[in-house]
Amino acid sequence: MFLPAGSQDEIGNRLNSRLKAYEIFRQVTTKRNFKQISTPVVEYANTFTNKYAGMELQNMLKWFNRDGEIEVLRPDWTTAIARALVSQHPSQLKWSYQGSIFRSDKHGTESRQAGVEIVHTTPLLGESECLLTAIHYLKELHIDHYLIELGHTGIFDELTSPLKLETDQLEKLRMAMHDKRKDEVYQIVANSGNSNIADQLSMLIDAYGSFDVLEKYEKLWAGNSRLLDILGHLKQLAVLLKDLGVQDILVDLGRVKNLPYYCGTMFRGFLATDGSTCFSGGRYDKLYEQFNEQISAVGLAFDVDVLADHYSLQEKIDKICIIANEETHVYAENLRTTYPEAIVDIQYTLINEGDYDKILQIVKENDEYKVVQK
Amino acid sequence: MKPCIALTKGRLEKQFLKFFQSLNYDIDPLVNKGRKLRVETDDFLFVFAKGVDVTTYVENGIADLGIVGEDILAEFQPDVYNLFPLPFGQCRMALATEKGKEWPDRKRRIASKYTNITKEFFRQKGESVDIFKLEGSVELAPILGLADGIVDIVETGNTLRENGLVIKEEFFEFSARCIANRSSLKIKREKLTPVIEAFQEGVKVK
Repeated sequence: MFLPAGSQDEIGNRLNSRLKAYEIFRQVTTKRNFKQISTPVVEYANTFTNKYAGMELQNMLKWFNRDGEIEVLRPDWTTAIARALVSQHPSQLKWSYQGSIFRSDKHGTESRQAGVEIVHTTPLLGESECLLTAIHYLKELHIDHYLIELGHTGIFDELTSPLKLETDQLEKLRMAMHDKRKDEVYQIVANSGNSNIADQLSMLIDAYGSFDVLEKYEKLWAGNSRLLDILGHLKQLAVLLKDLGVQDILVDLGRVKNLPYYCGTMFRGFLATDGSTCFSGGRYDKLYEQFNEQISAVGLAFDVDVLADHYSLQEKIDKICIIANEETHVYAENLRTTYPEAIVDIQYTLINEGDYDKILQIVKENDEYKVVQK
Repeated sequence: MKPCIALTKGRLEKQFLKFFQSLNYDIDPLVNKGRKLRVETDDFLFVFAKGVDVTTYVENGIADLGIVGEDILAEFQPDVYNLFPLPFGQCRMALATEKGKEWPDRKRRIASKYTNITKEFFRQKGESVDIFKLEGSVELAPILGLADGIVDIVETGNTLRENGLVIKEEFFEFSARCIANRSSLKIKREKLTPVIEAFQEGVKVK
């Protein structure tokens, strides 16, 4: 029997690392007063494809149900949780989740995530708590070398609003910014007759780097209070991260949203070892507009597969084999309880000696059981 | 670790080396590489691959930067930063048919290596067509009766002419482009920025 492309069985260390990563995430979020939530794996496609969520149906694993409606395997946690939280009492502000998402446009069909969503909270507090949870979690995973990137959807919105572009042109421009495609960005904006904004947006493509990028743009945008407010907000978050010892903080002022529901701060974590993205998230108040709710909402999701690949089980646990037989099995089971911190395996014959740190054999002498270390 | 640059083998490779030399980089190890597909110079690690594989290496972070034709980027839409055009590898995409032959009065059949570009081209025109995917020598398809026309790259037009085909419509001009891995561009910015800036200066000069 074979597996479809993108599916895989998992055994051994990788699976252990992933389960441990989930376990540590649950501990960290419980200690920070997050309440766990889980949503079903099967949802209606429209939950994710409506104009507020804006995901592509072609990238989902889907089928028709008996009523002719399209159902999908959950392609995204944030949207599913927004649907679920609308019916929850607003007094609970902090939610955490863990589980798989399914997408056909990714290398592996199934990917595992763990994440947090914070609602009804002031922007700075919610965003700070998301980032602090990320730092806390990475620390517990013993992952020390990473970069945190900050961006903001409002910069692109503010700079393009005078252009009055048609929706499709604006989307084309956003995609060109997303791809840092400088020539096309310039061309689209220049064609609309504003070479000054064309210059500004082209320059913004290169506006990524450390703190000095914020300082440079504070001077450049000195006359624009809305842009200065955005820079001020990003600076507050960057200072918070710096004060907590995060050395590598990256700002990308040219970053644009890749999902329509983002509306404010965006953040992303990169592992310094190989550049893989270990978390991403941001503010998404607009997602709740589909439920006629005005809710402040922010969240981030960790890529548990990436974290599990970089997390090695730290503590060495002793592995003991007790050699017993049908007569001594009960004695062996009682003996097992005397090693609460170890992995204890009971076998009738020793199969692979090298697998164990200690091998104990139960022998019977004068009607009494005795434990002999081999 | 040295930045890794993935180069498209063949014509683009030769044109890139000429461009790279004009920026005062030493290209001797790259010219005299024999059949090696991986060459380390004082400043960079170069890997040589087919165009579409260049995008795969860059997308997956094996290579930090890539030099690839825009036809490949338009066809395969890799998730990379598509930074800027380079002053070589200029081509155009065209729809061509057999000389003197009328378009048939039915749904047309088009042969191409670039099925996504072809689909999008006809979609923009509001026309449904059947597309045959071919891997090479696309000009044969109309001659042998497989298709009514082809969508392919045209540089000089000589191959089309020699096979009795004429351009019906040109619709996409492009060149080689510099692409970057989305994480590398930021994480390795101190190492990548000087070479990216050098490329951009080179583009301005040309």
